[in-house]
Amino acid sequence: MATMTEAVRASSTGGTARKRATRLRSGESRAAATFYWMVWPAVVAFALFHTLPVLIGIFFSFTNYPGYGDWNFIGFSNYINLFKDDRVLHAYGFSFLFAIVATILTNVISLSIALGLNAKIKARNFWRGIYFVPYVLAILVIGYVFQFFFSNSLPKILAGIPLFADNILTNETWAWTAIVALGVWQACAFAIIIYLSGLQTIPGELYEAASIDGASPWRQFTSITFPLISAFFTINVVLSLKGFLQVFDQVVALTNGGPGTATESVTLLIFRGGFSGGEFAYQSANAVVFFIVITIVSLLQFRVLQRREADF
Amino acid sequence: MKPTASRFGRPAAVLALAGLAAVVGGCAANPSNGVTTLNFFQFKGEALNDFNAIIEDFEAENPDIRVIQNQVPEADTIIRTLLVKDKAPDVITLNANGGFGKLAQAGVFYDFSDEPVLETINPAVQEILADLGNKEGEVNGLGYVNNANGVIYNQEIFEEQGLEVPETWDEFIAVCDALVDAGITPFYGTLADSWTGLPSFNALGAYPSQGDFWDQMREEGENVGPDSEVSFQKDFPDAMDQQYQLFSYMQDGYRGKTYDEGNAAFANGEVAMLLQGIWAINPVKAVNPDIRAAIFPYPAVDDPDDRLLVSGVDVVVTMGKTTPHKEEAMRFIDYLFEKDVIEQFAASQNMVPSVKGAEISDDPSLQSVKPFFDEGKITGFIDHQIPPSIPLASIDQQFLYSGDADAALATLDSEWAKVAARTIPVTGE
Repeated sequence: MATMTEAVRASSTGGTARKRATRLRSGESRAAATFYWMVWPAVVAFALFHTLPVLIGIFFSFTNYPGYGDWNFIGFSNYINLFKDDRVLHAYGFSFLFAIVATILTNVISLSIALGLNAKIKARNFWRGIYFVPYVLAILVIGYVFQFFFSNSLPKILAGIPLFADNILTNETWAWTAIVALGVWQACAFAIIIYLSGLQTIPGELYEAASIDGASPWRQFTSITFPLISAFFTINVVLSLKGFLQVFDQVVALTNGGPGTATESVTLLIFRGGFSGGEFAYQSANAVVFFIVITIVSLLQFRVLQRREADF
Repeated sequence: MKPTASRFGRPAAVLALAGLAAVVGGCAANPSNGVTTLNFFQFKGEALNDFNAIIEDFEAENPDIRVIQNQVPEADTIIRTLLVKDKAPDVITLNANGGFGKLAQAGVFYDFSDEPVLETINPAVQEILADLGNKEGEVNGLGYVNNANGVIYNQEIFEEQGLEVPETWDEFIAVCDALVDAGITPFYGTLADSWTGLPSFNALGAYPSQGDFWDQMREEGENVGPDSEVSFQKDFPDAMDQQYQLFSYMQDGYRGKTYDEGNAAFANGEVAMLLQGIWAINPVKAVNPDIRAAIFPYPAVDDPDDRLLVSGVDVVVTMGKTTPHKEEAMRFIDYLFEKDVIEQFAASQNMVPSVKGAEISDDPSLQSVKPFFDEGKITGFIDHQIPPSIPLASIDQQFLYSGDADAALATLDSEWAKVAARTIPVTGE
């Protein structure tokens, strides 16, 4: 527990790397070689299976390669056409809407549940186990269960509400909320674990001192709890937003991008358009743009959130 | 590295490699020992056993040829990888969709124009193939079996209700109304699987897009719109209204049901008709082997003689252009097109054989479409003419949910224009 929290703190406070004592340098050539041999295979594999394909993809985004046969260089045409394509712009809009709503909901709900699981409740470990179960299930599999639930069960249970009775998944305006529900349900599990470990680093004496001074529970939360778990909050928000922007499995399982293309996320569009749609190079350009967008968003988040982190 | 090890190691490795190469080279198709081996690329999983039986008989009659069947999933992708490597298989079967047309236009298949087997094939079938695309002036594929895309109907229910097969649009709607009055749901909708909206779209849209509609659309390219010579917005509103009308006769909850649920419901007699093609008959029979199901084409016209059956070439047989075993491959292809061989295959797959005079099996679904094939009143699938990057199934599904034909047609036109604008043709330099 201590190692993980310290690692989180060290990485997220953009920490000043403490200088190591120079005496470690001497007489460690044998140890250094071993560490290199442990690291190199992973670096090679990563380069081969991740970096190389990415570079090849970026290369082909400047061509008109359909996935087979001949191709020519066409410069930035793919990128220019991307910005003119309203289907692409709609996909980005949907992905961002989904990601922002899902991130906020996930973090609010997870933090609340983590606060509950941190308190002295009965059968605490049992509850912690229950709340972790969604993370264990395969997204696609549980997605199909939810699809059945929304299409067949919910219309019968909530037959009085027209929105649900008509199968919310086929509603152009509200199908995305069903996908948010599934995404949040599953993402909360992991977020709860992170928040729980963060809450456990806060020493109890702080709360005792605060309550002696007459602080209300809400005041304790805003002044003690929240500032002290800000590093965990940063990690959770960054990971949530990045993960939700790339939503794919949930969309495929629930609506397959439907009705029409109302819930088509960027990743689904890239996959469909690039392969079965036969526009490999065009969607490669889309993927490059998406990569840049996510990187910028994540870096911005780090900047904003790290400034407000406290340490004690 | 000790010197003694490398002294014997290197020459031994070279010898081993040379020996291996000799053995492998000898295993390759080597006419000098009398037997030619043909590489048969086969896409249809359901036809694996049928082709195995055909190959056995062929090899018995032709001991100097061996045929190895490679049944592949994702055939569209794999054939492209083979072509890119110049490893075109000797004999190929593919589904004749838009992708096949593109490959044919690229000139990777053999030209069958002068082959005698071409004369034995129904010209209407070859026309459908020609519409997909051939290299200029060539005939690059031989249609083997065709499917039929009409309305599947339960003959028992029709007989009980005293209904006749409708031959005009008004008769069709009258049949639907009569069924509703008798308390029977006319159709089972399965729009959770968005592609199941396409069979009816293809059939109804075939009527306004006859002639050189698609060539004109391609010429319009990025200028397509409500004011151009041809466009979806101009020519398809009637077809859309007809499709929407049919979908108003669906069961409750049709938006959330899937293809498999639809087949099972029809097989169990819950509905009278299914808007699916002949490919659905086998799954239906798997649920209820005793069902009597037949097919009639969508009568989207006022004159029964104007009716067209939408049919695609389900299996097209062709040959790689650069195959070194042209003669042997042609012998195998000629064997495939012999009457009794193709009849047996078509009956087993529940499809229509393309050879003139070949008997169609007794299955009522096939007998009901036979006249249209004999009279040449068949036409191809229009979704083969629409680029796959346009999400046609999704657009159609959205239209069927909302009923907004104008929006759907406008979307189709704008997608067509966008794709035309951003498709920069490969110049092969």
